[in-house]
This record gives sequence, C-alpha cells and structure tokens, in this order.
Amino acid sequence: MSELAISVHGLRKSFGTKEAVAGIDLEIAAGSLSGLVGPNGAGKTTSLSMMTGLLRPDAGRVIVHGLDVWADPVAAKAVIGVVPSEARLFDRLSGAELLEYAGRLRGMPADEARTRSAQLLDVLDLAADARRLVADYSTGMRKKAALGCALIHNPPVLFLDEPLEGVDPVSADVIRRLLSRFVTSGSTVLFSSHVMETVEVLCDHVSIIDQGRIVATGTTDQVRGGKTLQEAFIDLVGSKATEEEDLSWLGSSSS
Amino acid sequence: MARLLVQLKLKLLTNALRSSRRAKVSFIVSTTLAALVAAGTFVILALLRGGSAPVAQTASVFTVFAFGWLIVPLVSFGLDATLDPATVALYPLRTRPLATGLLAASATGAWPLANVIGLLGVTVGVARGGASIAVAVIAVLLQVLFCIALARLMTTGLAGLLRTRRGSDLAAFAVVPLFALYEAFAQVVPRLAAEGKITAATFANIDRWLRWLPPGLAVHAIRDAASGHLGTGLLRLALVAVIIVAISWLWIRLLSRALVSVDTSTQSTAVRGRALPFARSGIRGTVAGRYLLYQRREPSMIVRWCILAVVMVASSVSTIRAPAYHVGLFISAVLAGGMLSVFNANWIGVIGPAFTLEASALTGLRGIRSYVAGRNVALAAIGVPLAVILSFGIAAFAGHPLDGFLALPIDLAAIGAGLALSSLYAVSLAYPVVKRVGSPIPGAADGHGGQAVAGTFGSLFGVPIVILPVILAVNLTSSVPSAVRLPVLALAAAGYGLAAAWGAGRWAAAIAAARMPELCQVAASSKL
Repeated sequence: MSELAISVHGLRKSFGTKEAVAGIDLEIAAGSLSGLVGPNGAGKTTSLSMMTGLLRPDAGRVIVHGLDVWADPVAAKAVIGVVPSEARLFDRLSGAELLEYAGRLRGMPADEARTRSAQLLDVLDLAADARRLVADYSTGMRKKAALGCALIHNPPVLFLDEPLEGVDPVSADVIRRLLSRFVTSGSTVLFSSHVMETVEVLCDHVSIIDQGRIVATGTTDQVRGGKTLQEAFIDLVGSKATEEEDLSWLGSSSS
Repeated sequence: MARLLVQLKLKLLTNALRSSRRAKVSFIVSTTLAALVAAGTFVILALLRGGSAPVAQTASVFTVFAFGWLIVPLVSFGLDATLDPATVALYPLRTRPLATGLLAASATGAWPLANVIGLLGVTVGVARGGASIAVAVIAVLLQVLFCIALARLMTTGLAGLLRTRRGSDLAAFAVVPLFALYEAFAQVVPRLAAEGKITAATFANIDRWLRWLPPGLAVHAIRDAASGHLGTGLLRLALVAVIIVAISWLWIRLLSRALVSVDTSTQSTAVRGRALPFARSGIRGTVAGRYLLYQRREPSMIVRWCILAVVMVASSVSTIRAPAYHVGLFISAVLAGGMLSVFNANWIGVIGPAFTLEASALTGLRGIRSYVAGRNVALAAIGVPLAVILSFGIAAFAGHPLDGFLALPIDLAAIGAGLALSSLYAVSLAYPVVKRVGSPIPGAADGHGGQAVAGTFGSLFGVPIVILPVILAVNLTSSVPSAVRLPVLALAAAGYGLAAAWGAGRWAAAIAAARMPELCQVAASSKL
C-alpha cells in the first residue's frame, strides 16, 4: 500500500450511554478520493469531527499526513481542510471577504489570500457573486464557498461532511470536478455521504460505517463485490423495512 | 390538541432534567428564579391591601407584567422554552384547536406559573369576600392568557417581516423602541416613586387610562366584585376574554401567512468593499476587520449597541436634573461596560457553526490570543467612543458639559472590564443559542438559561467590582485640581481597562486553547 494520508485506530466516542463511534480503524492512502458511507446516525459526522480535531474522542488515535491530530492538534490543523455538513459560514461577509478571511486565519499573506480567493471563486463559479453577502447565497453556493475556505491553504488532506447534500446538479458537478482535480495532484479527500451513486462514481476507496463500526472497507470494487454499491450497502447494513402485513392500511386501495 | 401540546411542552421541560449536568443546573436556576419572582410579586400585591390606591397600583403592576411579556420574548434569556409554532403548523389542524393548543402550551412552564402565583396576590390585596376572590382568580388567569397571546402576536407580527433576510434585518430594529419604552418605564417610574414624586394621586391619574386596557379591566373587575357590583365585574372579564380571542385569532392569521410566504430577498445588491479591512495587520487585524464588518452589517449587533445606548441614557435620566446628577452619570458609564459584557458574554455561541471555520484555521495559543485581541480591538473601537460621547451628552444635558471628563475614566475602565469579563465568560460559560420563529434575536437553547443568566448578572455585577478602584479614585480625588486630576485619572483608567482586557484576553485564550473541541461543539449546536 502507498503512503498513508489518514490512519485511524480504535477511535471511540460516547454521548452519555449512547456509543456513537464504537472503536473504528481506518487507513486511507495518500492521493485517494475516499468515501465514508453509512445510514443516518451511523457515526459519520462524529468520526469526521474527531479526525479533524473538532470533537475530542474518548479513545483512539488519528494520524493525518504523519501528524497525530490529538497529540499535536496545532500542526495537524495546518495540513487539514474541513467542510462541515451544514455549511454555516460568516454570512455577513461577501464571498470574497469570506475566503480571504479563511486564508488570513491560516496565516497566509493578505495579497496571496486575496489572489487565491479570486481564483477559487472563479473555479467554483462564484466570481459573479463574489461581492454578494453569503447570507444571500443558495445552499449550493454556500457549499462551494465552504469548499473554497477549506482549499485556500492547499491542504494535503481534505475532509468533507456530506458535501453534495442539498446541492443542485450544476453545483454538484463543479464540486465533483474540483475534487477529482485536487486528488490528481496527489492530495487526499475523505468525504461522508449516504448517496451511494455519487460515491460509486467518484471514489476509488469506500468505507461503510454502521452503528459506529466500520463494517467494510477497501477499494470501491472490493466493497461492492460485483454488485452495485447500493446493493452491497443494503446487504451489509440490512434493510429495516417493516413486514408488509403490518402496513396493510397503507395505500389508496385500502379503506 | 391542547392536552397533547401541553404534554409535549412538559416533556420538553422535564427532559432538561435528564440532559447534561449543565442543562440541569440551568433548569434549576431558571425554576428557582421563577419561584422568587412568584413569591415576591405575591407579597408586593398582597401588601397593597390597606394602602391609599390599591386598585390603581395593582393595575399598574398588571400592565407592567403585560409589557414585560411583550419585551422578554424579543430579548429573552431563553428562560421559557416556547414551542416553535412552525413544527405543529405542518399538520392539518384547524385554527381554533391549533390556537388553543399553542396558547395552552405557552401557558405551561415555570414562568407562566410564576406569573399566575405572583399575580394571585390580588386575592389578598384587592379582593374582599368569596365572590371577588373567585373573580380575582379568573382575572389573573385571563391576565396571564392575555400576556401570552399578546407576546405571541407581537413576535409573530415580526415573524411576518422575517420572511426575507432584509425583512428580518428590519424586524430586529423593532426591538429598540420597545426596549427604550420599557427602560423608561422600568427605570424612571421606580426612581420617581422613591423620590416621593409618585403618589397615590399619580396612580389614580395613570389608572384613568390603564383601566381601559385589558390588565386594568381585569383588576377593576375584582374591585367591582369586591364592592358588590359582581355583574359589572363579570362584564369586564368578558371583555378581556373577547380581546384575548381577537388577539389569538389575529395571531394565528399572521402565523399562517408568515409560514407560507417565500423569501424573495436572494437577488440582493453587492457589498461595497472588495477586500477584508485590516487584513494586512496579521490575525489580530483580520479578526478585528471581520468583527467590525459584523457590527455594521449584522442587525442584531446594531440593535445591541442601540440597547446599550438606551440603557446608559435611561439609567441616568432620573438624576440628571438633580443635584446628585453625578450618580446617574457614573452609573451609566459603568453600565456601558456591563452591557457590552452582557451582549458579548457568549460570543462563541452567538457566532454559531461558522466558528468551526475559525477553530479549524486557528493553530495554537498565539493565534487564539491574536483572535481574542482582534475581537477586543473591534468592540473597543465602537464601545469607547459610544460610551464617551453618551457620557458627555448626559453631562451636557445635566447642565455641566465638562463633567463628561469625570465620567471618562469610568467609561474607559468599564469598557476594558466589559471586554475582560466577556472574554472569560465566553470561553467558560459558552452555550448554544437558537433563533426561534417569531424572534429576531437568538436566545439560549433549551436547558441553557442558567448560563445566560449567569453571564448577564456576572457582567452587570462583575464590571463595577472590577473597576471599583477607578470609581473610588474618581470620587476620592475631588480636592485635587481638575487640570492635574482629570488627565491622570483618564490615563490611569485607560491603562487599567487595557490591562484588564489584555490580561483576561490572554487567560481566556489559554482556556479556549484547552477547550477548543468543546467550544466547537457548543458553537455547532447553535441554530441561527
């Protein structure tokens, strides 16, 4: 296996009596575009938050780009880009101001932050809206702006939580193309999703998480095992559909 | 429907006791405070018995409570977790059961109960005999229902404006004149009373107007029953009930309209500046630039500065034309710092999920120190001139414009202390906030009212304690010639405030660095 960009061992997190993440192990090779898929409440967001230094784990170790996230969070944060699930941004800044702000907080010189901000807004198809307040952006525009903030310091590893959730097809295509271009240069992307079709098309590596545990991990082909990823996912996670007779009243043919 | 929603509300309230330790403490603090308000109000109203104008004074108290219900939901501490109407409006419910259910749910909880118990003091203060006690109980229940319906109508009326981003910006400003009115009432009236300028005759005069408003009608109904005019009393109560029904009907109409209207504000104009101001001055300058833009562009920030100004003026207004005008002048200067701290004591929760962007970018203690310093610079850049200008304005209005120089040291020290305390509270008492439908200003999330109260009272009492040396220095050096005294005091106070803000900022940064993941979770839990 090539050099590891992300290495997770025995990561655990409980909220009261609820065990959200029950000791996951995960290894992602550098230069891969990897998907973390699972049903709602499986522990995707909790896992990503712990991997990015935003949520303190109860146990476990996270190594990103050779740096221990919880032993040296300062150094680790410098090599990480994060797009949270809800793209809640500083919505009283314009798009250009927001990206510049993200760059400056990362310690970039003002001129460079400004230049990169303009270039990213252009690639993200937000140049025309660069001077509008983020408060007036649509969901897709917010996601793209959040991606711009996460990329402005050119991190070797990018974490995205549901990056395409609620995004229109045109914006989704812009994001997909940018992510593909990003990994082609040798950088690594780990993103969570519950949209199997997107993960199947985009990712070369997939991990399936359910009830806080990794139930399958490997290349996309290995995980789906000759089926579609959707079918493989249902086989692994299990359909929780109720028996039909329990819902005999449902449907227009019923009285 | 009413029963179901009341059960739901009770479930939400009692769930706080099964939540985190902090939520439990908040719940207990909030409930204890409600119990104190209930007992205090009951005793005050009961003691009016045998006074010179019990009916007129009780009518004033009832009206003050109604006005409080108008204001509190807008600038609330989140003490009362009201049900979000949007969650139930999705169901195919007819207007009447929906209105009844939501009003019943609003009436459930410690604070509505505290109102009922407190106002029942009228059964001792005004009522005389069995029939009038029964009328008093009904009057109190109607009064509390009226308050709830009025508060709902008010906030939902603003919610109509909240359909658009620009509308919600405008709605936030509606708080300012309401707050100014409230301050005038709450500050001026008690002080005039204490100075003996408010007598029984004054209340009688006020009562000539108040008796026609629902709270006054309720109180006079009790008086009628007590004096043997039971029919007139019942008629008055019937009128109050009709008004409650009308307000509730109007409220539901407004609510239905607000929920199905679309936001058409996305085609907005561009902002003027191309680049972030002060971005060349390191992280401190960048953060200061972002904060300054927010103070200008975020309506709730402007509202907070306006409220700070209103509080400063209102706190001095009763003594301003009196020989002891210095007291009001100094109190207003202290309150400048106190209110600045109140409004910024939870800046991480108020930033909300966007704080994740900052938290993931700031690397190390040095970066966080610069961040806190940048925030302090931005707030001081507005707070200091505002407080100083208002102090000089108050001094000028008192007829002694040069006495603004006496308030200047207190202004400077108080702003410094406000920045210091708010920096520390924000990292140690951080709590998520929620922007509820119908309220333009976010309040504490359910179960966190105690932290909000702690931050508020910690700020209001903390600032005068921190700057006590400056207050004493100003008061004890009056024999020193002004030409020497005033510049020295101003410089020393500025240094004192600066040192307090700087020291507390570094301390807060150290706490934040150690608690950053926890602070991120608080910020991410805010719903704005």
